[in-house]
Amino acid sequence: MRRSNIIYHIFNAVIFIALELTALSMLNNNGELQNNWFSNGSQRFMKSIWGCSQEISQYFSLKKMNDELALDNNALRLRIAQLEAAMADSHPAGIPAPEDGVAGRFRYIPATIAKISNNTHHNYMILDKGTADGVVKGAGVVTGKGVIGVIDAVSEHHSYARSFKNHEMSISSRLGKDGFIGPMSWDGRSSSRAILREIPHHAEITSGDTVYTSGFSTIFPADIPIGTVGEAEIVNGSTYEIEVMLFEDFSKLKYVTIVENIGRKEIEELEEEI
Amino acid sequence: MRTNQNFGLLYVLMLLCQIALCNYSPLGPYIMLSMLPVMVFCIPLRVSTPMCMIIAFFSGLAVDWLSEGLIGINAAALIPVALARKGIIRVFFGEDLLSRNDSFSFGKYGAVKISAAVSTAIAIFLAVYIILDGAGTRPAWYNLMYFGLSLACNWLLSILVTHVLTPDDRK
Repeated sequence: MRRSNIIYHIFNAVIFIALELTALSMLNNNGELQNNWFSNGSQRFMKSIWGCSQEISQYFSLKKMNDELALDNNALRLRIAQLEAAMADSHPAGIPAPEDGVAGRFRYIPATIAKISNNTHHNYMILDKGTADGVVKGAGVVTGKGVIGVIDAVSEHHSYARSFKNHEMSISSRLGKDGFIGPMSWDGRSSSRAILREIPHHAEITSGDTVYTSGFSTIFPADIPIGTVGEAEIVNGSTYEIEVMLFEDFSKLKYVTIVENIGRKEIEELEEEI
Repeated sequence: MRTNQNFGLLYVLMLLCQIALCNYSPLGPYIMLSMLPVMVFCIPLRVSTPMCMIIAFFSGLAVDWLSEGLIGINAAALIPVALARKGIIRVFFGEDLLSRNDSFSFGKYGAVKISAAVSTAIAIFLAVYIILDGAGTRPAWYNLMYFGLSLACNWLLSILVTHVLTPDDRK
């Protein structure tokens, strides 16, 4: 009974649409004003449909555009590092051409995060680059907005990185471009704050100052901006503990750069000898 | 069930009257008189909605063709009336009338209910007609005035037409 009712209503609708369209097409052919009105309306309708489909296709191509931008960013970052290295060394042959992603002491490899954990005390991430791409254990993971982590394990096509948001991780950081240096680690509570420790109590702390990587490690290059100075307090009467507001939002991370210190093995071997 | 035995003949006669009205009535630009919506509304309930829509289409087309109007405009405005006919009857006269396929009359339902139902049918017709006639070129105040004056005049005419087309059981 119900199905026959539905069929009856559909039949009514079909007849209505067919007759109405016939009448409107007659009107369209006979009235000049109506003809203009219908054609303008149909043009507007088609334009909105076309515009809508264009927006949808653009939305779905955003991922591809993001990938391309990430590669471009990486190439630019590499170029900057090469220029800086060339300027520092007064390279006799001028500025070297990009070669295998190497700039100065570091090799840069662009990567995408395949999996990330952000809500535990031991966060990690899986990157889509592995030994086949030149990734080695102990390499750093960075973005233009901070330090992200350190590679702990590598397979052929993927690598496992310990996140900066991890209690066991500490990085050497500098207050401003020429300020004091101290270890910085995640505060363990907020996703956007870290603590910079061991800053001498006579240091001048200005809220809003930028904190950079110091470069005094075999993992990360120097001068990567990490965050800004927040509140500071003296602990044990001798050093400051400074709150750092991180630039990078870990919950939105997708594209990163793996940095490998080319001379790290040599430095480590030298340290072992002593 | 009681219906007007001469409904078909009366319908055709009224259609001819409508054609004459369209061709010879000296009405101004603010009033449009049409018996067509009430004629379609009074089609006996035993006639199904699809058939009613087809009758409405050809009635509108006949008027358009034989008068000096735009071909298709009356047909386009009349088909929605035919589609909404049973719905209007259900709202104003109840489901019972539809299930019995009975007819309505002033004697059975009173002038108020019939006026309201007929006015709804005319309003649907006029709304579509005025929109299509203006084709987006006329101001809203003109359309509203056109609609209001035409609705009032058509209501008076429709009461007369309903009297003729619907039999009264109490007679």
